[in-house]
Amino acid sequence: MIFSSIFFIFVFLPIMLLIYYLTPFRGKNLVLLLGSLLFYAWGEPVYVVLMVFSIAINYVSGLELEYFMETHDEKKAKYAFITTVVIDLLVLGFYKYYGFVLENLNAVLPFDIPYHELALPIGISFYTFQTLSYVIDVYLGKVEAQHNHITFGAYVSMFPQLIAGPIVRYSDVEKQLKHRSISREKFGDGVMWFLQGLGKKVLIANNIGMVYDSILALGASNTSVLTAWIGSFAYTMQIYFDFGGYSDMAIGLGKMLGFEFVRNFNYPYTSKSVSEFWRRWHISLSSWFKEYVYIPLGGNRVPTIKVIRNLMIVWGLTGLWHGAAWNFIFWGLYYGIILCLEKYILRGVLERLPNIVRHMYTMVLVMFGWVLFSAPTLGRAASYLGTMFGIGGSGIVDGTAFYYLKSTFILGIVAILSSTPLIHLRMEHMMCARMRHRQVLFVAAYVAVFVICTAYLVNATYNPFLYFRF
Amino acid sequence: MGNDRRERYERFKQKQRKKLGLIIAGVFTVSVLVLSIAGILKPDVKFSEEENRMLAEKPQFSVESVQSESYMQNMEAYTADQFILRDWWVSLKVRCDLLFGKREFNGVYLGKDKYLMKTLTEPDEKNVKANLEAISDFADRNSKLDMHLMLVPNAAFVMKDYLPSGAPVRDQSADLKWIQKQLSANISCIDVTRALKRHAEEGVYYKTDHHWTSRGASYGFEAASIDLGIEEPVEQYDIYTVATDFSGTLASTSGYHSAKDTIEIYVPKNIEIQYLVSDSDQEEKRPTVYNKSALKQKDKYQVFFGGNHALVDITTANETKDRLLIFKDSYANCFVPFLLPYYNEIVMVDPRYYYDNVEALMSSKGITDVLFLYNMDTFLTDNSIADVLVEE
Repeated sequence: MIFSSIFFIFVFLPIMLLIYYLTPFRGKNLVLLLGSLLFYAWGEPVYVVLMVFSIAINYVSGLELEYFMETHDEKKAKYAFITTVVIDLLVLGFYKYYGFVLENLNAVLPFDIPYHELALPIGISFYTFQTLSYVIDVYLGKVEAQHNHITFGAYVSMFPQLIAGPIVRYSDVEKQLKHRSISREKFGDGVMWFLQGLGKKVLIANNIGMVYDSILALGASNTSVLTAWIGSFAYTMQIYFDFGGYSDMAIGLGKMLGFEFVRNFNYPYTSKSVSEFWRRWHISLSSWFKEYVYIPLGGNRVPTIKVIRNLMIVWGLTGLWHGAAWNFIFWGLYYGIILCLEKYILRGVLERLPNIVRHMYTMVLVMFGWVLFSAPTLGRAASYLGTMFGIGGSGIVDGTAFYYLKSTFILGIVAILSSTPLIHLRMEHMMCARMRHRQVLFVAAYVAVFVICTAYLVNATYNPFLYFRF
Repeated sequence: MGNDRRERYERFKQKQRKKLGLIIAGVFTVSVLVLSIAGILKPDVKFSEEENRMLAEKPQFSVESVQSESYMQNMEAYTADQFILRDWWVSLKVRCDLLFGKREFNGVYLGKDKYLMKTLTEPDEKNVKANLEAISDFADRNSKLDMHLMLVPNAAFVMKDYLPSGAPVRDQSADLKWIQKQLSANISCIDVTRALKRHAEEGVYYKTDHHWTSRGASYGFEAASIDLGIEEPVEQYDIYTVATDFSGTLASTSGYHSAKDTIEIYVPKNIEIQYLVSDSDQEEKRPTVYNKSALKQKDKYQVFFGGNHALVDITTANETKDRLLIFKDSYANCFVPFLLPYYNEIVMVDPRYYYDNVEALMSSKGITDVLFLYNMDTFLTDNSIADVLVEE
């Protein structure tokens, strides 16, 4: 079930919220757990068992770790800790990378190992990272183990962030799980977040996404330079509004349930360097890697060569996290290299450049990155990048380019404006205006987004969700 | 001082957000509840005239259907399909699309003069190769028969000038050339592209449907008759308009309903042809290829033969020994009426639905001519021809 669907908005959500609000506080976590399991089972009736297993293992392990640490049995604690982390990673590895590993082994080995590619359980990458954060933090003594299995289950399975993040760290919601305020005002705030996210996803991402798909399908030889750039622009916008919109919806739903999640995106396309881009893009993932991989490896408090090694490990893993395919790994390493360059060579240069150049530098690199990320194969990524420079394509500009230019123009401008704080600031002005009619306009804008989104969802044939693959 | 003001402004902003958020939440909650309750109370609609398709029905709950996820998928389809005022929402969506500058809806281009044209599909190469091989083998096995392949190009290619400017479209002439090269010498290709292109402005395709019109088929026939070995083709027809409010499948898939089509039928002038038609869905013989009752329903193109059938058999009283077997898709339905005067018997097989032995059918009917008749787009995505031609 995805948030941007008629069934979720008009059936699941109202029923879920009604029961949730009517239940007294001590029962709310149970309602949340059951509702979330149903939500998950709706899309994964079989793999829901896997998630319950994951909850159980990590819950027990948390208690175990706490016991060993209280009795100062550090050896056993370490042993238990490593076992749990290995189990978590093995489950993730098995379902996500098994097919990929065997495919590559078969390509190298003289004989073939028969294998059966497994369907990826939805959201496994997200919830595994959540349970890992819990186990690691318990082991490091940063948080106390959770003694209530319902509360712990509710944390792992919580439906707003279950299938596409943000990756909520246990330490961030520990207190909220025990006590959180639920109010009409918070619900109102949540609805605004939800509608904002819904609009980003349904109106911008879905509509502009079709452009990239059809340009990719043209084949390199029919793609002119302009067409190729329009295509990669369209994908750049699609992935941001798709994922960013989903994160907004998750934050909104969290608020409706009384939770406050951290922001996952902070206008990433306004960045003036690639390092800044990654501080603003999918913040919960990059900070997870920073906290649990980069810093334990020594971070940047080690000799330069080791810092570079650490960066490359983190970015290789970030790429791999996004999917079991070579283009994701190369995409990660691509960023690893750029970040190293920025850290040691380009920083001084960039700082002296005018802002506009720095914006362009960042966006062009990010757009190349998305081509690498989104193409079905590495070969197609290479041929697409080629056409962006006029290699192997059909000239600089052709009729097709104008067709796509015309059909993305309005949407493209809306997308660019919405990817900066501009529209948000305008809306805030409207909200705080003295004149009543501007406030009415503000409300009307939200209602209009809701009505138009409903129209698109009723008639949905193209409603993919990019981050489901991860 | 500045800090103080900013703080006050922040507090004011919070207050406003809370206030307006409550109003928005109120509107949201009320509309969600009203729309979903109205959806429950409203009786289910089985068939959408507007979209020309069966709407999803409430799925039955069972362990198997849950395990296979079909219950969940059908439930989601059911909620969307039975949503209150569905048609209104669909048209709202199309209007927004137009506003965004889009000229392509669900794989349908909106061209000039309100022409809707299906975007052409990427060919399914594996199946195309298998089909072409099977056709070649079949032609070689039956080299004594007169065999032709006629692939009708689609509107988006023939009427390029009508597309939104610059819209990409497959080069179907190149496709046809490529196909010709793959085929055995025992089967020849009939190319009607030029004939259709010459008359592109006369309405050779429906505006709201993916089929060619009878007029298009008449030009197709004119061009094909020589290849088919028809010596004195009829040149004069009586043209009857049988429907003026046809809204076809492209209007349905795109949701764009501004145009209406006219359906015509062509009857040879001054010749009386006697024939009887029966098909696999209706064994009873009748003296017409037209199905009047189809004009009362949404898909009026079914006026030709009442739609597609696994097997259609037309026997005529013509004094000739030629007996034609046609492997076809729905493009043939409005074309075959033009062939009636020239054959003793015409057998139409739709490989998508036909599972019997073709060779046995051929010998029992004493077939002398074979025609493969498809539109290019269907042919390049078909996966049934190879199966039906397989040697027993």
